[in-house]
Amino acid sequence: MKYKDYYETLGLPRTATQDDIKRTYRKLARKYHPDLSKLGDAEERFKEVGEAYKVLKDTEKRAAYDRIGDQWHNGQDFQPPPRWDEGFEFSGAGHDESEQAQFSDFFESLFGVDRDARMAQDRGGARGDTPYAIPGQDHHAKVVIDLEDAYRGVQRSITLDTPVLDAKGRVTVQSRTLNVSIPKGVREGQHVRLAGQGGAGLGQGRAGDLYLEIGFRDHAHFRVTGRDVSIDVPVAPWEAALGARIMVPTPDGTVEITVPQGSGGGRRLRLKGKGIPGTPPGDLYAHLNIVLPPADSDSARASYESMRQAFTFDPRAHFASDSS
Amino acid sequence: MNESHSIWLEGPIVEEEVEFTFFELCRATGASEEQLALWIDEGALEPQGAGPQAWRFDGASLCRVRIAQRLTRDLEINAAGIALALDLLDEIDRLRARLRRVQER
Repeated sequence: MKYKDYYETLGLPRTATQDDIKRTYRKLARKYHPDLSKLGDAEERFKEVGEAYKVLKDTEKRAAYDRIGDQWHNGQDFQPPPRWDEGFEFSGAGHDESEQAQFSDFFESLFGVDRDARMAQDRGGARGDTPYAIPGQDHHAKVVIDLEDAYRGVQRSITLDTPVLDAKGRVTVQSRTLNVSIPKGVREGQHVRLAGQGGAGLGQGRAGDLYLEIGFRDHAHFRVTGRDVSIDVPVAPWEAALGARIMVPTPDGTVEITVPQGSGGGRRLRLKGKGIPGTPPGDLYAHLNIVLPPADSDSARASYESMRQAFTFDPRAHFASDSS
Repeated sequence: MNESHSIWLEGPIVEEEVEFTFFELCRATGASEEQLALWIDEGALEPQGAGPQAWRFDGASLCRVRIAQRLTRDLEINAAGIALALDLLDEIDRLRARLRRVQER
């Protein structure tokens, strides 16, 4: 187990006041909140900051944590000393209505598995023997697919872990596998609703629904904006100058496109309706990128030389006219 | 496992094919009725129809409410702040998409 330096996580000295801690947490939470930040590791950072705050905002937990001492460093191997929490009483108050948060081993070894999760489970317990019907909760999960899958639809087996209480009141994780058909035309960030696949209902209550949020795996060639897809297409100078018919990959197979005569670098060709399918379907944009062949042989050098002689071409002509 | 006997679950794309009533949206997001009513009051969500019974929310509301919940829980933002944050996030998304189009031209 690794020691966690909660003060370092928040960038605060051990002498920080409760006000400092709150202020700093708020600031970092805004900075790293996954809904507000596009940083790649935002979610990870947000969780770390949240865990640090959960301990330091609570004066009981903070005092216990401080007692472990300040001789430890972030990431150092750590075992809590025996009876380290002797003389402390955790009131266990202050349940926020949090989703079941995942805390580090370090946190759980000191403060136990988050009680909120158990509370949430307990609320589901059956009460009394009068007829009742409580619908199950709707659940959410994420699934990542390839862009190609969005063009064709795809069948996926997904495994979901749900924490449940066993007969002795311990939290265990129950896995179940669902075979899901992801419909064609789905876009990143959209949701597929699976009726009746959420939490079980109580009594006569119907089961909740399961919402699957769709993510796309990054693609080596294609970029996606909403329904539209773009790709950079390298072309030779003579293809751009003289025009050409070239083969270009799309997520739905290779297509032939016409490079118009006299195309400049960066020219954007639109393939209408070749984006993600739908009503209306998206478009596919091919961005031409002119690539020079290397002058690495006598004949190649001779070709460039003859171009030099064939053209009266000054690519920097506009600099002269700018300065006059 | 015998593939030919697998049952493949199917469902609609929420953002394109689903409309929520007030209560369905509460269930789908886990938001309380009071909370959702507050956000509607502030204009963070704009349902079609007059009054809670007739209200219909488009599929994109699912995402909006889920973000609203997370921001409320994690940053303790009040309803007016939520409405503002959601509008600004939409604006940022629009600008990002536009920036990308300009850069790629």
